[in-house]
Formats: sequence, C-alpha cells, structure tokens
Amino acid sequence: MNEFDDNEIATLLRLKRHEQPPPGYFENFLHEFHRRQRDELLRQPLWRICLERTHNFLFQLNVSSLTSYPAAVAAVLVCAAIISLKIYQGPEAATVAVQSRSVLSATANGEGQWTLSSPVATRVFSTQPLRESSESAHTHSRGSGTPPRYVLDSVPVSYEATFKF
Amino acid sequence: MDKPRTDEDQQLVARTQSGDAGAFDQLVVKYTPRLYGLVYNMTSNHEDTNDLLQDVFSKAYKAIRGFRGKSSFYTWIHSIAVNMTLNFLKKRGRRFQLSLDDVDASIQNDKEFLELTATSSPVREADLSELQRRLNEAMMKLSDEHRAVVTMFHIQGMPHAEISKILRVSEGTVRSRLFYANRQLQNYLDEFRKNPVA
Repeated sequence: MNEFDDNEIATLLRLKRHEQPPPGYFENFLHEFHRRQRDELLRQPLWRICLERTHNFLFQLNVSSLTSYPAAVAAVLVCAAIISLKIYQGPEAATVAVQSRSVLSATANGEGQWTLSSPVATRVFSTQPLRESSESAHTHSRGSGTPPRYVLDSVPVSYEATFKF
Repeated sequence: MDKPRTDEDQQLVARTQSGDAGAFDQLVVKYTPRLYGLVYNMTSNHEDTNDLLQDVFSKAYKAIRGFRGKSSFYTWIHSIAVNMTLNFLKKRGRRFQLSLDDVDASIQNDKEFLELTATSSPVREADLSELQRRLNEAMMKLSDEHRAVVTMFHIQGMPHAEISKILRVSEGTVRSRLFYANRQLQNYLDEFRKNPVA
C-alpha cells in the first residue's frame, strides 16, 4: 500500500479551496457589516461619539500634522516657562514681605492684639522673647569676677526614668 | 492565488482615510472571500468565521487612519485576520465543531481533483469526502500556528515571504513549520488509510 506523499497532501489541501459558505453569504456580508456598525454606534455613549466626530473633523482639517510630538513638547515648554515667570514675578510675594515687616515693628513693644488691617482678622503675637539669649545660656550662678562656666547635663531631662527604686 | 494589485488598494485606502466609507466597502467586498478561506480553514466553523470576519473588518476600519502604508493593505488585513483568529483559537481551546466538511459539488470538475483520483492509489482507495473529513480533523490536530502556515501556503497559495511578513517570523521558521505540519498530516492520513474505521 502506498503512503501519501507531500504532493498528494498538498493537492488534497488545495482542494479545500472548494469549501464554500452557504449561497448568498458574500452578498449579504456587507449588509451585515453595516448593520453591526450601526448597532455598535448606537451602543456607544454620547461623549465617545462626540470625541470621535471631533477627531474626524480635526483629521479632515489636517490638524494632526500640527500636533506632532515636537510641536506638543514645544508648546508644553512654552506654557511651563510662562507659568514659572508669572510665579516668580508675581506681586503677591512682595506685598506679604512688607506687611510682615511692619507688623513685627509695630508690635515689638506691645502685647498681643487683634488687628483688622487685613480682610481676615489675625491675632498678632508679641515677638519679644521671654529671656535674653545670654541669660538662658548660664545654668549656674556665677560670681562677678569669675568667668562663666558652662556645664552640659550628661543626661537630658526627657530621658530620665519616671520611677526610681 | 495571486496577490491583488496594490496600487488599486492604495487608492481605496486613501479614499477611506479621507472619509469615503464607500471605498472601504469595496475593500470589504474584495477581501471577504479570500479572508473567509483563511479564517475558515483555521477555525473549521462557519459561525465563528463569520463573527471573526466581521470583527476583522470592523477593527480594520477603526485602525485604517493609522495605516501608513509601510506594508501593503493585503499584508496588513491578513495580519489582522490571522492575529485575531489565533487569539480567538487560544480562547476557544480545543473545543470546535466542524460545520462545513462537505466538499462543494464543483470539486468534481476540478482539474486537480481529476488528476489526483486518476493517479493516486490511496486517494482512489478512500472515499474522497471521507478523506476530506479526515483531513479536516487532521488539520485541527495541528497547533494553531502550524495550521495557519498550512492554510496560507497550501490552501491560499501564498509564498513563504508573504507568510513571513504576515506572521512576522523568518522565512526559515515558515519553512520549518510547514515541514513539521506536512509530516503530521501525513501520519494522520496514513493512520486513516491503515485503519479506515478508526
């Protein structure tokens, strides 16, 4: 008994070209395609239809060539430069600095008070320190003639144990 | 099967890209029979083939604005069809139903059929329709990738170079897959000839 060789298999496979769909299938295929396209369109949300139509409109105007990557990057860089210039040269920062200086000078000698100078009422606290820095530095009494001694505690207070037995 | 003229396709593609939906209809009409043969012989099911073909053309229509013509429309649409069919077959798994295994009556007048039945003893011995049924079964036993290559080369008559472009593999890979698939088909059909009732 002979075996199938490559040529016979190839010929048998070529005969499969004769396997055809039901009659009229190819004639109806396009109608079916249009019907499915319409169904798919009706199922889409409104925003998506609008987006697609806008895209199509822009494509017809050939705007797509303008929105290439270099143009987009350049536009972003220009916008960033303008925004950064606005931020650094804006008048708000200077105004705030002047106001804070005046507040400090006005309340240096007085107690805390309420002011209505700005639209938002703010409590202005005295900035006078409780102790002078020279006082707080001396932890031990000193004689008038002896030079000051500075002793640092070996253990910070916060680290001491609460209970001692 | 000859490759269609690409300049005509290019014009239709350009018209579609400029908004002429009728031009795409012409492409659909032109490529449906060719793609039907490709997809059907990979799925062996008419209903699946119909759904897949609809999806292929729908996807192509949505993507055609991005088609820049680096390859021909012929290669591009075949790539979409093969990739979508392979993805579908992966999801479907091995479950399939042969829906179209009766050979068309026109085959009786086919020159190749007459030559084959006149000269080939295994074919003479076996009933042709039964042999075709077994061939379909043997085809479905091949892996999806091997079946795709066999379909494009033997049934669609595409050259190796075109198949390699569509599948994005080397021509060597195409030849290797063909060789392996032919051996597999030969084994299945010989098995049938030795045990016709199996």
